[in-house]
Amino acid sequence: MAKRSEQDRIELVYGTLDMLILRTLRWGPTHGHGIAKSIERMSEDALKVEHGSLYPALQRLQQEGWITAEWGVSKNNQRAKYYQLTESGRRKLRAETSRWERFVRAISGVLKPAESEKTS
Amino acid sequence: MRWKRQIAKLRALFARQKPADDISDEIGAHLRIEEQENLDAGMLPDEARYAALRRFGNVTLVEEGSREIWSWTSLERLGQDLRYGFRQLRRALSFAVVAVLTLALGIGAVAVIFSVVDNALLHPFPYKDADGISVFHIHNLDEAGESGRLELSVPEFLDYQEQNHVFEDMTGTAVEDVLYTGPETTEQLGGAYVTTNTFQFLGVPPVLGRWITPDDGRPDAPPVFLMNYRMWQEQFHGDRSIIGTAFTLNGVSRQLIGIMPPRFQYFGVDVYLPLTLSRSGAYAAGWLGVRGMPTYLLPEERRKPGVSLQAVAADLNVIAQRLSKVYPKDYPKRFNVQPVGLASDVVGDFKAMLYILLAAVGMLLLIACSNVANLLLARATSRQKEIAIRASIGAGRGRLIRQLLAESAILAGMGGLVGILFAYWGLKAVMAAMPLDALPSESAVTLNSAVLLLTLAVTALTTILCGLAPALHAVRADLQPQLQDAGRGVNSGFRHAGLRSGLVVAEVALSIVLLAGSGLMMRSFFAVEHVDLGFNPQNILDEQLAFPKGQSSAAQQSKIFFQQLLPRIAALPGVLAVTEAVTLPPFGGPLSDVTVPGRTHTERWNAMFELCSEGWFRTMGAPLERGRLLSETDIDSARMVAVINQTLARRFFGGADPIGQRIKLNNLDLAAGTSNDGYFEIVGIVADTRNEGLQRPVLPEAFLPYTVSDFNGHALLVRTAGNPLALAKSVSRAVRAVDAGVALRRTSSIESFLKDYAFAQPRFGLVVLGAFAGIGLILVITGVFSVMAYSVSLQTHEIGIRMALGARRNGVLGMVLGRGLRLVALGIILGEIASLVLTRLLASEIWGVSARDPLTLAGIAVIIAAAGALACLLPARKASRVDPMAALRYE
Repeated sequence: MAKRSEQDRIELVYGTLDMLILRTLRWGPTHGHGIAKSIERMSEDALKVEHGSLYPALQRLQQEGWITAEWGVSKNNQRAKYYQLTESGRRKLRAETSRWERFVRAISGVLKPAESEKTS
Repeated sequence: MRWKRQIAKLRALFARQKPADDISDEIGAHLRIEEQENLDAGMLPDEARYAALRRFGNVTLVEEGSREIWSWTSLERLGQDLRYGFRQLRRALSFAVVAVLTLALGIGAVAVIFSVVDNALLHPFPYKDADGISVFHIHNLDEAGESGRLELSVPEFLDYQEQNHVFEDMTGTAVEDVLYTGPETTEQLGGAYVTTNTFQFLGVPPVLGRWITPDDGRPDAPPVFLMNYRMWQEQFHGDRSIIGTAFTLNGVSRQLIGIMPPRFQYFGVDVYLPLTLSRSGAYAAGWLGVRGMPTYLLPEERRKPGVSLQAVAADLNVIAQRLSKVYPKDYPKRFNVQPVGLASDVVGDFKAMLYILLAAVGMLLLIACSNVANLLLARATSRQKEIAIRASIGAGRGRLIRQLLAESAILAGMGGLVGILFAYWGLKAVMAAMPLDALPSESAVTLNSAVLLLTLAVTALTTILCGLAPALHAVRADLQPQLQDAGRGVNSGFRHAGLRSGLVVAEVALSIVLLAGSGLMMRSFFAVEHVDLGFNPQNILDEQLAFPKGQSSAAQQSKIFFQQLLPRIAALPGVLAVTEAVTLPPFGGPLSDVTVPGRTHTERWNAMFELCSEGWFRTMGAPLERGRLLSETDIDSARMVAVINQTLARRFFGGADPIGQRIKLNNLDLAAGTSNDGYFEIVGIVADTRNEGLQRPVLPEAFLPYTVSDFNGHALLVRTAGNPLALAKSVSRAVRAVDAGVALRRTSSIESFLKDYAFAQPRFGLVVLGAFAGIGLILVITGVFSVMAYSVSLQTHEIGIRMALGARRNGVLGMVLGRGLRLVALGIILGEIASLVLTRLLASEIWGVSARDPLTLAGIAVIIAAAGALACLLPARKASRVDPMAALRYE
């Protein structure tokens, strides 16, 4: 039993980062730095993006064919590698988002009675 | 989804630039952007750069992590494991050498026997779709075994050809000697008259010229023939210009139209001639067979696609039941039709031997594996500390098991390589020991790709077999006590004692089974060798003669020839007796249907007939039982008299006295001019001599004056005082002096014939199985020895304490010896039980000895017990010489 929950947690972390990256790219092509920044900004700095996870994740998403990469120039005239969402990436994002929402609902459903127990 | 990423990785592997190649540029850009932002926020330049770096974290780690996504880490880890394994094994060189050699013996033996099985049994023929070719026996259900009548009469052949629903095509072959009259010599060639569809059926194109086609069978077609590659090379040195030239075969001029390739050895003959069949018989242009056209053919059939042998059996049984009414004499009372694949028919009873050997090498491999497993186990025990340290600094169990398996994979891989080398030599030795004609002559037995593939699979299996148990054992333990344990553990070594003992027991049991098999083969071989032939096979020269065909009144001719020849040979110094003969003992003459007047019988009565001269009985040394022998006058005047053997007298006359009775051999064609009611008067009875080979019971046989028939198949048997082959030259001179047109076909002695044919298969089984059993025995001795030596080395401390407390040396010796012998004894018991079950599979290969022969089983138990005691003795002596002080101080 213990083993299984550990596996689930790892999967959750991976999947979550992938989903957040895809979500960020919905607004248009961005480079790695921009992705990290906007995830942090959107979560009001609750989530801190580890670059050690971000860059491998970007490679993995490319392998899955959900994003593509291309070198470009930033608005500060800096050369940077820009990532862009593909059509299958967009589909994946939709699926992941709804899966996530169901997941959150389920978790909250389980957690709520526990909280009420605590207070009583 | 995983496969998608693997494909992306594969594509990246071949792309000029990998997606992660520019990762450092990308990170550089990231840092510059961050730095710029920091500057914009008002930081100092240095501060801005450091803050960006700090914020980013370990650049190298991120780069590596990103690149790793594109690489096959597990493969790279495997490489690491292998490199590490190699280093470990180099450090334990003697262990590695012993393990590799042990595995090489096992794997090599498997490769040798599998090559024979694969080439000779699974893919022996170069023919098109050889798997679809089958033959069928008409098997008498009242007889044991699986054989039966193979050949069909010509009308029968046509019936099967027309009435079956299961065959695509059906060919028929009559094997007949062909006399070739060359410019200088006359020679007897092996020939096959084949139906004209045969070559399309076999689908092997000639290397030169063209096939025999149905057109060559038309009555007006010019006579043609095909030549075998070997004859073309040996006699014509591969001369291409002989295609189209005419050869005189059986007195008829035939055009050579093609040469068959080297591997084409259909029926093993030199020349192929076309044959046409009709209801009235067979027809071949220029046929001059002695007994008319061939009346019996050996059929081969190709099944229609998707038709199983069972379906063939069902269809043919219906036809055969119908035909048994038409030709009642050719079918036994109760019979069925049994189709078999071509390969299994040609290899016949040798197949069982090959499967037995395959099982034997499997056992040998298992012994080798358990030996190496034991060695690995001992190593794993002494490496427990290393393993514990690796585990404590973070190596996972999976990783450790992989690491240990990598080591056994290296051992197995090298064992496989060396094993193939062994197999290369071993195969040569096995093929040299192979009995003549045991394998189809077409099969080319080599280490082919299938064998190499199998060796690879066996190697992988070996890795698992000998590596997995030690690896699992090694990582099972708790880390804590091992790290604390100061070094030489008092207990640690005993952790694997159970597994080690189990392996020893299994090894001993396996080797008992191997030895039981080869012991039975040995007993069987001696039994065959000591069969009472009824005659003395020593010092008999056998000379097979070939007469020019096409001579008129062959009987008269050969009578004149032999009347001149026999006295000449009898007069040679060193010759004791000489006779004309048809066959080569211990095989009798042709089988014939027999009629005995006044005796009724429902079954067909068969007897062999031997056409001989009065010297037969003296040459063979067969004693007269009753009546008289054939006399010179009987032979000279071709009198219709017969001497019979005891079996014939018993079987056809029962209690009655056969002397003076009459007997008719219906299949014997009498020469023109002999009194032609065909009945022979029985004048004498001789003791039985073997006439169906060594192992089968004697058949009824009649000895007749050779002058009564022109049956062509003459041979000379000469009883000599000394080495028979020494006389071969003077005998052949005598033959040539009488008639230069008579060719010598084969010169040998009965003794060497027996050696080549009768003893060869049991000897082959004995030699090969014996070699395997010997290797197995050596492996078992080393296995028991290494286990005992190892456990003694672990117990040194304990033994030291015992001795310090007053145990005597003999007591210690007995203790160690007893422990080892208990394992050996358990292995012997299990092995004997397994042997009792398994040797029954040998039943078809052994003769004259029971498959449960108690003497053999007891004998090998003694051998193994002695070997086991020997293997335990050295470690036990070492244990008894332990110096208690040294052993205790050692700790």
